[in-house]
Amino acid sequence: MEGFSILTAMVLVPVIGAAVVALIPRSREDVIKAVGLAAAVLVGVASISLAFAFDANSAEYQFVSEASWIEEFGVSWLLGVDGISLFLVVLTGILFPIALVGTDPHRDVKGYTAWMLLLEAGCLGSFLALDLFVFFLFFELTLLPMYFIIGGWGYEKRVYASLKFFLFTLFGSAFMLVGMVALVFLSAKGTAPLTFDIRELAERGALAEDTARWVFLAFTMAFAVKVPLFPFHTWLPDAHTQAPTAGSVILAGVLLKLGTYGLVRFGLSLFPKAAVDLAPVLLTLAVVGIIYGAVCATMQKDLKRLVAYSSVAHLGFIVLGTFALTTQGLSGGVLQMVNHGLSTGALFLLVGMIYERRHTREIAELHGLQRSMPVMAVMFTVVMFSSIGLPGLNGFVGEFLILIGSFVTRRWWAVVGTAGVILAALYLLWAYQRVFHGTPEGENATLTDMTLRERAVMAPLLFLIVFLGVYPQPVLDRINPSVERLVRHVEEKGGYEQPAVAVNGAEGVREERQKKEVEEGQAKQQESERKLAEFKEAEDKAREKARSGGQ
Amino acid sequence: MSLDGSWYLCLAAAVFTIGAVGLLVRRNVLVMFMCVELMLNAVNLTLVTFARMLDDIGGQALVFFVLVVAAAEVVVGLGIIVAIFRRRVGATADDLHLLRG
Amino acid sequence: MNGLPMNGLPMNGLLVAQAGQPEGLAPLELPNVEYSAMAPHLILIGGALVLLVWVAMVRRRPPWAWAAFTVAVGLASLGASWLMWLDVGRNGPRTAVADAVVVDGYSIFFMVLVSVIVVLGALMGESFLKREDIRGPEFYVLMLLSSSGAMFMASANDLVITFLGLEILSIALYVLAGLDNRRMESREAAIKYFVLGAFSSAVFLYGVALVYGATGSTNLGEIVGYLQSSVAPANGVLLAGVALLLVGFGFKVAAVPFHTWTPDVYQGAPSPVTGFMAAGAKAAGFAGLLRVFFATFDTLKLDWQPIVWVLAVATLLVGSVLAIVQEDIKRVLAYSSISHAGFVLIGLQAANEKGLAGSLYYLLTYAFMVLGSFTVVTLVGRKGDARHDLDAYRGLSARRPALALAFTVLLLAQAGIPFTTGFLAKFYVISAAVEGRSYSLALIGMLSSVVAAFFYLRITVLMYMSTDEEEAEEARTEPLAIPRSMAVVLAVSVAFTVAFGLLPAPVIDFARDATLLI
Repeated sequence: MEGFSILTAMVLVPVIGAAVVALIPRSREDVIKAVGLAAAVLVGVASISLAFAFDANSAEYQFVSEASWIEEFGVSWLLGVDGISLFLVVLTGILFPIALVGTDPHRDVKGYTAWMLLLEAGCLGSFLALDLFVFFLFFELTLLPMYFIIGGWGYEKRVYASLKFFLFTLFGSAFMLVGMVALVFLSAKGTAPLTFDIRELAERGALAEDTARWVFLAFTMAFAVKVPLFPFHTWLPDAHTQAPTAGSVILAGVLLKLGTYGLVRFGLSLFPKAAVDLAPVLLTLAVVGIIYGAVCATMQKDLKRLVAYSSVAHLGFIVLGTFALTTQGLSGGVLQMVNHGLSTGALFLLVGMIYERRHTREIAELHGLQRSMPVMAVMFTVVMFSSIGLPGLNGFVGEFLILIGSFVTRRWWAVVGTAGVILAALYLLWAYQRVFHGTPEGENATLTDMTLRERAVMAPLLFLIVFLGVYPQPVLDRINPSVERLVRHVEEKGGYEQPAVAVNGAEGVREERQKKEVEEGQAKQQESERKLAEFKEAEDKAREKARSGGQ
Repeated sequence: MSLDGSWYLCLAAAVFTIGAVGLLVRRNVLVMFMCVELMLNAVNLTLVTFARMLDDIGGQALVFFVLVVAAAEVVVGLGIIVAIFRRRVGATADDLHLLRG
Repeated sequence: MNGLPMNGLPMNGLLVAQAGQPEGLAPLELPNVEYSAMAPHLILIGGALVLLVWVAMVRRRPPWAWAAFTVAVGLASLGASWLMWLDVGRNGPRTAVADAVVVDGYSIFFMVLVSVIVVLGALMGESFLKREDIRGPEFYVLMLLSSSGAMFMASANDLVITFLGLEILSIALYVLAGLDNRRMESREAAIKYFVLGAFSSAVFLYGVALVYGATGSTNLGEIVGYLQSSVAPANGVLLAGVALLLVGFGFKVAAVPFHTWTPDVYQGAPSPVTGFMAAGAKAAGFAGLLRVFFATFDTLKLDWQPIVWVLAVATLLVGSVLAIVQEDIKRVLAYSSISHAGFVLIGLQAANEKGLAGSLYYLLTYAFMVLGSFTVVTLVGRKGDARHDLDAYRGLSARRPALALAFTVLLLAQAGIPFTTGFLAKFYVISAAVEGRSYSLALIGMLSSVVAAFFYLRITVLMYMSTDEEEAEEARTEPLAIPRSMAVVLAVSVAFTVAFGLLPAPVIDFARDATLLI
């Protein structure tokens, strides 16, 4: 497919929406909201129909649209989607309308809506880009709207938080830009034409082992800040806490995924050998992040900050699954990206709703909300259990796949990571207990429960949380072929082989064992045949000797 | 009896250095200005010497350009100096302190 | 001519040789002057002269007529440059006027750039002069002359012409810096610029003299011929000469450690003049620098590359770090212009074709960004051109949303945000550095741009994130007018920055084709 396609349209629709919003007079807030929502819903519908139209049997990139752009640099407008990016696109498409409807910016609706739409375009562009240059453009572009959203509509320390967010990420991208250019030039080897096409770059794999490792580190730097991996995470709690609710939802739900997605898409496919070699380092950072995030979350007094630190822990899980380098771990990681987007996005929405009523995020100030807001309590419980990873909800599926996938190859990391699950139960249940249990007093007693609109906003999220927990198969069916292809690519180029159990579970082991038994049987038979032959030979010789001796 | 060309070049280098150091060390704007002239004349000497050594007319022609440009610089420079120090007693660079970060 | 007297050889042999020549002088041969090779230069100079005569003859003329005339002259020279571009595309590059001037893609690139700067500069100046009540056409005349000097630096094929161009550019700029002579700051800027400018010219000239002594010519083509034919061309005199040339150019382009004048002069000079300086004078300095080092001293690149590496790193770091602590917007932009010079030096250090193209692209796109930025600075400076403290930008988005948005776009483009020309410019020079295997320099460049992003963002914070009622009240009492000519400059610079950030091919191809050196 060439030229205009559904993917290009998906990136452009929010941009056009933002431009239209910018042209509407400031006073017509209702029109602005309607236009913004219309654009976001349009993209959402497109993303869902994309998931249905997606061919689950193919591991290749689908709906590819290509157009030449900057020929001098070998850059082309190249978009495509595969199983790894598909559900992140869907997640983006779903979360943005929800964030737009579910929150109230309180001031300057025009600027807010325009920035949100631009942010959506940036996120979609990053997930869809198959050209490294285009990816980088969108990856950096997402910074700007988020910076303005945090800085313009955030809370008391918003300027500090937005600057920190911007500069941290830009710092990481500085490394990536140099690494990216180095990769492209070294891959071309001075003869082949320059290209930023990641499919082509992954095939070329022309970098020397040592160089590839440095370039991999440069890429990882950018993604590690974005994820954020421990020790680059310090911007995250500030940004989350100070951002307006919609900002936190998108930041946690979508933007952080850019980091993990980048690690999977670029780290693994472009530098398979380096990824295999350096996996222990990243795994260690991931596990440290899991424990550190969980411990910090336990100690928080601010409900939003608690959720922010829980993100650090959850993202650690995704990285653990990714660098376990097994099919199951990676599938779990990809699925968990979506799960985390849903559950943490929902948590931030709920916390935002509490804040709208109480104007505080202090856990100590909130008490006994279960009495005054029963519906809120129910929804919070479901979302919280999803975040903890209770079986039957979406979080369980992803975390379980990650843990069994990593247990096979990285036993000790997985064991330590499991402790994070327990800690997650601890801090979330404790927080729930403090906020919702007991008898409310004062302001807490007079709170109104969730409005119809708020319930409507939460409904799709809750539906997906339950749906993915009960019946994740259609999603996994679409993720798996691409993940398998990626792992095969890493195996081929990285000189590494994942254990069979990680591919098909117990069945794989059984097959493996049967194969081994057959092989062993054959070997035994050969051995006995050989011995028989030797014996015969010796007998023949002895007979000959006896004959010659007799002569 | 002819003098070795390098003597002239060394002299020019010395004069140039004196001019440069003077410009950086002295605080009186007029003296600084004179130091620039010193530097330009050192360059002229160098050019003439090289022209002679190379037996090439180009260097000598260049000297004329330098002279003209130096004259133009003098005109503009003195104009600026007069404009700025019209209402002051001495022309000291240390008085120029409005612009600093 | 082998072995220099400086190296200790006596020069008697030379004198004997000279004595052996026949007496008498050959008839003086005048070079053929092809005026068409310098059409844009001559249009600018002619325009300046016409303007002078016009003002002298006709006493009472509305000042906007001068501005309109200057714009017309700029457009004419732009048209002439464009015709030359087409001609070079058809017939190839050539030299003219006894090899002293060169007509190639590179020189025409700068002719186009300088013409555009003249047009935008005149528009910027018009409303400024009216607001400040500075009468007379000096601004336009000096700008036209200065611009012709900039063009000569780009098209010079002889160090003498480079020097003359440098001086035409600089002397006019000294006066321009002190144009607003009722303001002490402006006069002070003029004298500071003058003293250091004269110093740097002298240093540059000494470099010319030494190169002449070492190679026997000031003609760039002949120098190349000498360097290629001699076995071991690098000797002390030549290298000293090249180093001094680098110092001289370094002053003009404000490379660290020769940048000390920049913040003071940028702060003190009238704001439109500062914009012209940052866009035009920097481009001219680099026009000379890049041609001399890329084309002429290419064979010596192993000698100068390490020096340029150090200069580039120092320029990048000093520029971006010191900008953070400034409280005056013009000083901030001055240090930011220093750090941008560092990026162009990255392109020079790479010493490959991509580096040259990247540097040219950088200069072209930076010119638009910086002209637009100084337009905003001029506007916010209000009458008296004095409100340049960063606090003057507090709450600008509430007062003048369009102006704040335009400034934000220009600042973020300078920070290198994607989908602007600023990003592509950085990308271009960085990729040149990577191609030249200067990974550390590329990384330092990018990290310095992260530091730089901080102070650009700081201004956007002031504009967007700190509004309160008190300031809104002040905004109502003190309106900020945007004259139409300023609006045009802003619109053009923002449109260029964004449009060619989205569809970059035409400008990138233009810069690439401009690397067609003779």
